[in-house]
Amino acid sequence: MTNYTQGTARYASPKKKGFFSRLAGQWQLALMSVPIFLYVLLFNYAPMWGWINAFKDYGNRKLVARGITPFNGLDNFKWLFSRPDFFVAIRNTLAMSVINLVFGTVSAIILAVLLNEVRQKTFKKTVQTVTYLPHFLSMVIIVAMAQNIFASNGPVNDLLGLLGIQPVFWLGEGKYFWWLVGLINVWKEVGWGTIIYISAMTSIDPSLYEAASIDGAGRFQRILHVTLPGIKSTFVILLIMNIGHLMEAGFEIQYLLGNGLTAAYSRTIDIFVLEYGTQNMDFGVATAAGIFKSVVAIILLVGANFISKRLGEETLV
Amino acid sequence: MRKLLSVLLALCLLGTLLVPFAVAEEKPEPITLTAFRGDPGDQPYEDNKIYKKIEEEFGITFEWEFLAGDLDETLGLKLQDMDDLPDLFDGGNSAETLIDAGALINLLDYVNPEDTPNLWAHIEPQKNRIITKDEVTGEDVMYIIPNYGLGEGEQIVNSVNGPAFFIQKQVLAWAGYPEIHTLDEYFDLIEKFIAENPTNADGVPYVGFDILCEGWRHFCLINPVQHLMGRPNDGEVLVDVTKDDYPTETFINQPYAKAYYKKLNEEFKKGIISPDTFVMSYDQYIAQLSSGTVLGMFDQTWDFGDATNALLTDKKYENTYVALGLVYDEDDVAAEDMPEGWTIEEHYVNGSLPNLDRGFGISVSCECPERIVAMWERMLDYDWQMLFNWGVEGEDYSVVDGRLTMTEEQYANTQDIEWQRHNKARAFFESSPKRQGYIMDGEFAGQCWEPGNQDEIVFGLMNDYDKDFLSHYGYSKFGDFVNPPIELAPYGEAWQIDKADIQKDYDDYLRIQDEQLPSIIMAADDAEFDAKWDAFVTEITPSADIYANFMHEQILKLVDAYYGEDAE
Repeated sequence: MTNYTQGTARYASPKKKGFFSRLAGQWQLALMSVPIFLYVLLFNYAPMWGWINAFKDYGNRKLVARGITPFNGLDNFKWLFSRPDFFVAIRNTLAMSVINLVFGTVSAIILAVLLNEVRQKTFKKTVQTVTYLPHFLSMVIIVAMAQNIFASNGPVNDLLGLLGIQPVFWLGEGKYFWWLVGLINVWKEVGWGTIIYISAMTSIDPSLYEAASIDGAGRFQRILHVTLPGIKSTFVILLIMNIGHLMEAGFEIQYLLGNGLTAAYSRTIDIFVLEYGTQNMDFGVATAAGIFKSVVAIILLVGANFISKRLGEETLV
Repeated sequence: MRKLLSVLLALCLLGTLLVPFAVAEEKPEPITLTAFRGDPGDQPYEDNKIYKKIEEEFGITFEWEFLAGDLDETLGLKLQDMDDLPDLFDGGNSAETLIDAGALINLLDYVNPEDTPNLWAHIEPQKNRIITKDEVTGEDVMYIIPNYGLGEGEQIVNSVNGPAFFIQKQVLAWAGYPEIHTLDEYFDLIEKFIAENPTNADGVPYVGFDILCEGWRHFCLINPVQHLMGRPNDGEVLVDVTKDDYPTETFINQPYAKAYYKKLNEEFKKGIISPDTFVMSYDQYIAQLSSGTVLGMFDQTWDFGDATNALLTDKKYENTYVALGLVYDEDDVAAEDMPEGWTIEEHYVNGSLPNLDRGFGISVSCECPERIVAMWERMLDYDWQMLFNWGVEGEDYSVVDGRLTMTEEQYANTQDIEWQRHNKARAFFESSPKRQGYIMDGEFAGQCWEPGNQDEIVFGLMNDYDKDFLSHYGYSKFGDFVNPPIELAPYGEAWQIDKADIQKDYDDYLRIQDEQLPSIIMAADDAEFDAKWDAFVTEITPSADIYANFMHEQILKLVDAYYGEDAE
């Protein structure tokens, strides 16, 4: 009884301490986090003041130049949602994001698993280097290469010609566009994506593999029952983070690879904002679209986090 | 004694006070101006002889910044800090942005007949176009003195520098130098040539006709119809200048436009037009033209200058292009599809047009606008203009029998970028007011301000292939392939009108064309073509109507402004 009371007292006592005395107890840590706190405040919160522009009329740059930017309520949002092509842009953004996410993750995991199984060090390093180098190339170069490779007289169509297939107009048909973007992104980013999974795999306890071998597990069973579960938490965290970025399907590749013929499939939200907002200095519409994107991204992130929690997996927040 | 000393001292002091004023009369205080050009360019070298002379006479040196990257983005960034703008500010093709944003000073505060007689005389013939009224205050404004197009004397048309249908010289030579005036003749010729010569000497297949669709260069896709109807470049509207009220309509959604795209559709089905042309970037387009395998295209001469230069460097003269002025044939368009009372006569070349709102403006953050204006004023004098255009006599050009002339080497130098960096004030001169056309008085009256227009250079230095080519037609210059210039309409050229007031509708109007015209041209059969065309017309008409009405209003305003003061 006495012990119990003492115990309660012992555990309860820190709680009685005020916020400030606790802070004083951890002042070194608090001091270290001050720069980060200021950084976030300055660069992430302060710019939110600019959201006010979403409720102003920047429609005519002549008036804007004279400082005439009256508040116009929700007109910018109404304009956005009155545009069928804004919804098309949302569809394109989500479609390409999902394709990129699925292709990117699956290809990176497959390559990481394969590399993990390779025991020949030089070969492993060479493959790693070769596959992640394209990550450092500018998208302009990659797209120029893709335009030549997929041209109607390019190597891909030459190859199809050998198989007796008629040349395909890869770059001019909307239905191929999303998949081309997915493919190019995989080519560019697959090596980069493996890095984090390979490092996750190195942290798997080797004795697990030995135990599995002794129990008679073959190579595929070891991959299935040791490697993949070993990187599951990494995978889930990355997935949740990427879901937060679903509204960002990229801008450069669609802007460079797209053209009039494929515009209905290549116009992402970012390009829509560029065409109707930034280019005409209509910051009202541009900001409104930005806010919309942020709101959707928050919903997606919180949703993914919630589902993950319900499934008993890792969570981010 | 003491008194004398103090008087002497006072005099001395007074003297030292006066010294700076005396010097200022002689040599102006040295100053460095920051200058931005809305085009890519090359920094001049320190030893550049023209900039040295500018420094000697005006005490002015320049710190150059050239466009690297996207123009609109760069301007947008610069406009963030209105206190630190470049002194001399050339907004390139988006100078309206600078004006709309209030970044430039009104030059009329400094330019007037008394203080700057040269500059005033320079703009005077076109002042009703150059000087406009501020929309709000109603005061007269001039933010930029046009850098080109204020020529003296008769208009010089040695070649077509604007829009035209182009064809490789070898195609005309192969067919025995025929005269080509209609769409049918043009495409027939290309078809026949390709049928007999499917590839060039290296085995690379020829492309019959290219249509560049990229970005703002989409005029290759959307502009030709007005020219086929017999009008020079008004952008995206067809204006009936024969009527007092200047009826204005967008041509792209009219029945007479259908004939052109129908023709393109037929050529596409015949393989003369390759689908790749619709997905091509500008760089790929220039590369393809430079390889000499593209037989024809609609474009503007300045838009593919790099390709022409590459072909000339490779001495592929037969692959360079001739500008043809094609128009609709009588049976191309049914009479009832024509605008009321319209007759077609070929007019690709317009009367000379001041390059409104292009060139240097002086920014609001510049501390010495009066010195810049005074410099421009002095530079319009004969000696400075000769220095900018021709260079130093004996070194860069010579006078033979009273004629200004250059040797082949001297002229080649002027085209050489490295040489220019030492010997020409190119960046400054290109954006500054300049005299063009003919020298009107003095020793060299009747000769040209610009070497590139002088007969000794145009004809004297022409390559043998071109001389021979022209002789077959009995022409003396490539400008003879089109009709002489038509009188410039009072409103100028309609593409110059700022569309900021209806920007979103204008964007829609362009976007629908960019997205649908290529797929219309690629239609598999007539039924599909008609269906796509009808859908296109239905979709574009709302924004087209807004745009056409807006343009009509603006054109009427410009016409009033043009005649306004003369009537008073």
